[in-house]
Amino acid sequence: MTAPARPAPWLALRELPPPLVRRAAGVVTVLLVLVVWALLTRGATAESRAISPTVLPSPFEVLRSFPVLLTERNLVGSIAASMQRVLLGFGLAAIIAVPLGIAAGSYRLVDAASQPISVFMRNVPVAALIPLTLQAFGVGELQKVMFLFLATAPFLFHEVARAVALVDDRYVDTAQTLGARPRQIVSKVLIALAAPSIYGALRANFGMAFGYVMLAEVVDARAGLGFLLLQSQRRGLPEHLLATLLVIGLLAWLIDQTFRFFGRGFFPYLKAGE
Amino acid sequence: MSDAGGVPRKALDSPGVPGALAAPRPMLALPAPDIVHFAGVSKTYEDGYTAIHDVSFTVEDTPNHMEIIGVLGPSGCGKSTVLRLIAGLTPQHPATTGVVEVMGRPVTGPGPDRGFVFQDYTSFDNRTVADNIAFGLECSGVPNEERTALAREWISKVGLNVDRDANKYPHQLSGGMRQRVALARTLILKPRVILMDEPFGALDPRTRFAMQDLLVTLCREVEATCFLVTHSIEEAVHVSDRLYIFSSAPGTILKEMKIPPSARAAHLRQREPEFIETVFEVRDLIETLDVSTKAGD
Repeated sequence: MTAPARPAPWLALRELPPPLVRRAAGVVTVLLVLVVWALLTRGATAESRAISPTVLPSPFEVLRSFPVLLTERNLVGSIAASMQRVLLGFGLAAIIAVPLGIAAGSYRLVDAASQPISVFMRNVPVAALIPLTLQAFGVGELQKVMFLFLATAPFLFHEVARAVALVDDRYVDTAQTLGARPRQIVSKVLIALAAPSIYGALRANFGMAFGYVMLAEVVDARAGLGFLLLQSQRRGLPEHLLATLLVIGLLAWLIDQTFRFFGRGFFPYLKAGE
Repeated sequence: MSDAGGVPRKALDSPGVPGALAAPRPMLALPAPDIVHFAGVSKTYEDGYTAIHDVSFTVEDTPNHMEIIGVLGPSGCGKSTVLRLIAGLTPQHPATTGVVEVMGRPVTGPGPDRGFVFQDYTSFDNRTVADNIAFGLECSGVPNEERTALAREWISKVGLNVDRDANKYPHQLSGGMRQRVALARTLILKPRVILMDEPFGALDPRTRFAMQDLLVTLCREVEATCFLVTHSIEEAVHVSDRLYIFSSAPGTILKEMKIPPSARAAHLRQREPEFIETVFEVRDLIETLDVSTKAGD
């Protein structure tokens, strides 16, 4: 009998493996899913497959559909249409909700005044806003932008107000004893110290808006990623549907990484890993 | 019947309770206002809790002698309340009853003439060391170049290295360094009164000694009257010229002590027999007080 080999330390409970090992573990999982997917969809004819191609096409079929999606289905145009709606709707939400949130976080009276509407708006299911916006704004671009605005602004407002309110009183006390006036405290202390959390709220809600745009486009649209998904399903092109889903996931990740990249530049004073 | 419960009006008009106000002070040719004056100050919160009760004391303005006043007492005796009342910080400010005056004027709110160094680290995380120290000057509109030059001067005065530390962010500093920044940020404004609430409470003993000596040197330099709330009797006896010992809640001043001055560094002085004797005297006093309040619980 040989002596038992010493296990790698990162196999132990709650131990953090080295970065390379962590990355490799992620890659292995993806490969595993791809292999299982390929095995389940193997076979020359539909009858010989474990899962019918009308339900789940093979990974190769999905891959092969990309050129068609790009040339015949206007994938790039759909991405642009969706992104434009998100940028407009979310941008409007940010322009209105961030200053209001800062005011509510700084002044308790503004907070108290905003509470009833803020709580109500956050409790209305997002999907319920679609009929309302269709009725108010018709079926054009404005309806989609306003839907995204109404779906994200209440949450953005709430999170920004909380971020500002959570700045510890001791910073306000300190600023006051250093001679700061109320307006200076708002700009140099409250906004400055809450900025990373405000940015975090923008990042999270942009992700939400990107999710909601699909909903708006599924209901009624002439273009956009949601429109592409619905058309693929209606025309019986499951490989297009899956390929579009992959693009959406990848795009969402890219957007988030972009936010992260700029966040590091904006807030160099945050500890590594925050 | 009608005069059964009546109190003669004259009884109320007779001179008040002796000792409720500070003894009259001798008039000088040019009467300088007292630095800090408390007369019968009490603070009771909305929930009925009384933090301090009938606190009276006076710190006179004595030219060329800037006092450091140590404030000692059991936990929750309202030491911080007194400091925050001087600073004019809510919710302690305003006092429920009594008079709180600084430089002969009633305190109406916080201001840069009364600097405050807190126990918790209060460096602004988004500002470098230099920008933290220049915060007060920035608020009062001092031009960038001027305030940066002053901030750099103060960085070295509190024992930090200008080239190495000026552009660091607070998260890159140790606890002792952060408190040095807090001291510099307050002292750069040359406040007349400096209020310190357990500023060295979280520091290791070695750093603490160094900070105590730095504090004494700098308070003399800016000619400020300092109030130091502390749990450490050694610290209070070492840095203070005068000690106020508070009783338990509701806090009130139990004893005022003068401490003879010493030029020796903290780590040397704390071995002197006289020093140790004073420390034990104060400790016994606080312990008696603690026992008597606990017995009354």
